[in-house]
Amino acid sequence: MKSVMNLAADLKTAIGIGETTGPIGEQVLSSQGRLAALVVAGVLAVFAPVAQAFEPFWLNILTRMLVFALLALSLDFVFGYAGLLSFGHAAMFGAGGYAAALAIREVTTNALVVLPASMLVGVAVAAFIGWFSVRAKGIYFAMLTLAFAQMFYVIVFTDLPATVLDVETITGGDDGLFGIPLYEAIGIDFTSRLLYFYLTLVLVLVSFAVLVRVANSPFGRTMQGIRENEERMQFIGYDVQRYKLLAFSISGGFAGLAGGLYVPFQSVAQPGLLHWTISGELVVMLLLGGMGTLWGPMLGGALVIYLEERLAGFATWEIILGSVFVVVVIFAPRGLAGTLISIKNDPRNTITHVKQALRNYVEKVRG
Amino acid sequence: MTQSYTTDPTDGDAEPILSTDDLTKKFGTLTAVDGVSLEIPADRITSIIGPNGAGKTTLFNLFTGKYEPTEGRIALRGDRIDGKEPHHLVERGLVRSFQINNFFADLTARENVRLATQAPYTGFRPRDFLAHHRDLDVATESANRILERVHLSNVADETASNLSYGQRRHLEIGISLAADPDLFLMDEPTAGMSPEETRETVELVEEIASDITLILIEHDMHIVMDISDQIVVMNEGMVLARGTPDQIRNDERVQRAYLGSE
Repeated sequence: MKSVMNLAADLKTAIGIGETTGPIGEQVLSSQGRLAALVVAGVLAVFAPVAQAFEPFWLNILTRMLVFALLALSLDFVFGYAGLLSFGHAAMFGAGGYAAALAIREVTTNALVVLPASMLVGVAVAAFIGWFSVRAKGIYFAMLTLAFAQMFYVIVFTDLPATVLDVETITGGDDGLFGIPLYEAIGIDFTSRLLYFYLTLVLVLVSFAVLVRVANSPFGRTMQGIRENEERMQFIGYDVQRYKLLAFSISGGFAGLAGGLYVPFQSVAQPGLLHWTISGELVVMLLLGGMGTLWGPMLGGALVIYLEERLAGFATWEIILGSVFVVVVIFAPRGLAGTLISIKNDPRNTITHVKQALRNYVEKVRG
Repeated sequence: MTQSYTTDPTDGDAEPILSTDDLTKKFGTLTAVDGVSLEIPADRITSIIGPNGAGKTTLFNLFTGKYEPTEGRIALRGDRIDGKEPHHLVERGLVRSFQINNFFADLTARENVRLATQAPYTGFRPRDFLAHHRDLDVATESANRILERVHLSNVADETASNLSYGQRRHLEIGISLAADPDLFLMDEPTAGMSPEETRETVELVEEIASDITLILIEHDMHIVMDISDQIVVMNEGMVLARGTPDQIRNDERVQRAYLGSE
């Protein structure tokens, strides 16, 4: 068991990827960083109406980028920051999305009701998966979360709840649920796509602020300690399993929220939301963005969605995305966030860093 | 049982803080600890000695909840603790340090200790998630006191991996002290140290022992004979002998099995 974990660790060091840029022992997100986040949000807020006037399709891309930024953020909170290698975050995303679809259809289109419900369903699914998985470590945890997520996918795909309850349909099976309207009221009508974009922007910003806050709290510190040395944390007196379960559930809540924002916007909930390919894509977003920084993976998520949208016309867009990934792995092993941090700290040595990264690649990976 | 006692080393006065009854741990066909019945007197230094593979570290792992015993019982102040998880035992005042440094290499010395002093003050209330960790002043103050105690105040802001070997061993002890224990199990605190570092560490150990019960695993016989009130000699998973340093020094079986070979 140990050897498999060591292998995974060696692999990580060898290719230099998965190195956390996590601010160990420091503040997560400096005051400068907070300012930058607000500036980015401000620019997006101003840019959105312009984009819509120019080409309405842009607003769709921007909203999708935001949703996946939120989803990548939720995963980074456990994966990069707390060291729980979840390969099953699609389950919470999809569950939140289906919860929203069903709530909107059957109960209300009020975002104040539906979105908290999506979060709660995300928390519940994460708590369920986590309860069975947190005792496993490293690659075993990853495999368990992947397996559970696929189980949820199959449940939705085969419409198992309908079979159990003996009704015609609940999840809509492989077709999914169609014609989900946008949220109507929390005093404002979000059926306008622009207003929906603003709703998403505000919620992503609030989620980011909350998770940064939690990362800097005593709880966040404890999770960082568990990432660094789980055994010692136990012998210091922490109930490690309980902490991990809680972190995983919190993360699941935000993944559920992302689902709740995504489904009405797409107007459809389909089983693909829970498929493992989404979980896999999320991990790519984290690695591209820079694990453990919380903001890096948000950039990674936005970038992947952007490339996917822009390049989808080419039959070979996946090759392009793959190439970007390879370039990042070799030249910026700590992702976009790591690169931005090192440029900011030491602008003159950027070229040296790139050379160093290349040398590392040649020496360590090629042997 | 095959074990034998040289004498009753508890002197009949203090109630034992830790006691075991027929404690056994098997790993497959290997019996690492074999029917150990022991009493550890409170407010004393007890050293566990024995050749490699005698079961000393396994015994520590059983005491601290890392392993569950295959058979037998462990009691802390009369309450059974076998099968309890490590964090429960820390709450009851039982801590350990590790033979190989087991801390947070990328954190500063202060943050290493602060993570430990923070433990009793945090839980799962809203403020534990939303307050800033630096606002938990009690933890920081307590960490500073501990750093003072293990003589690391001057390197408090150094990253742990940059400390000297001796300093790292002291940090290892400091992290365990943070839980404010009354029973401290130290696994080879002086292993691999220079004579100078060893002397400092022995002083530290004796300081700690002034108000905490200590159980030591230690290979340096001079230290063991010098500071122990009770010595437990283990061999092949069993207690070979138990007694004061003088009794152990003069025990023939011990000389044959262990001391004689040095």
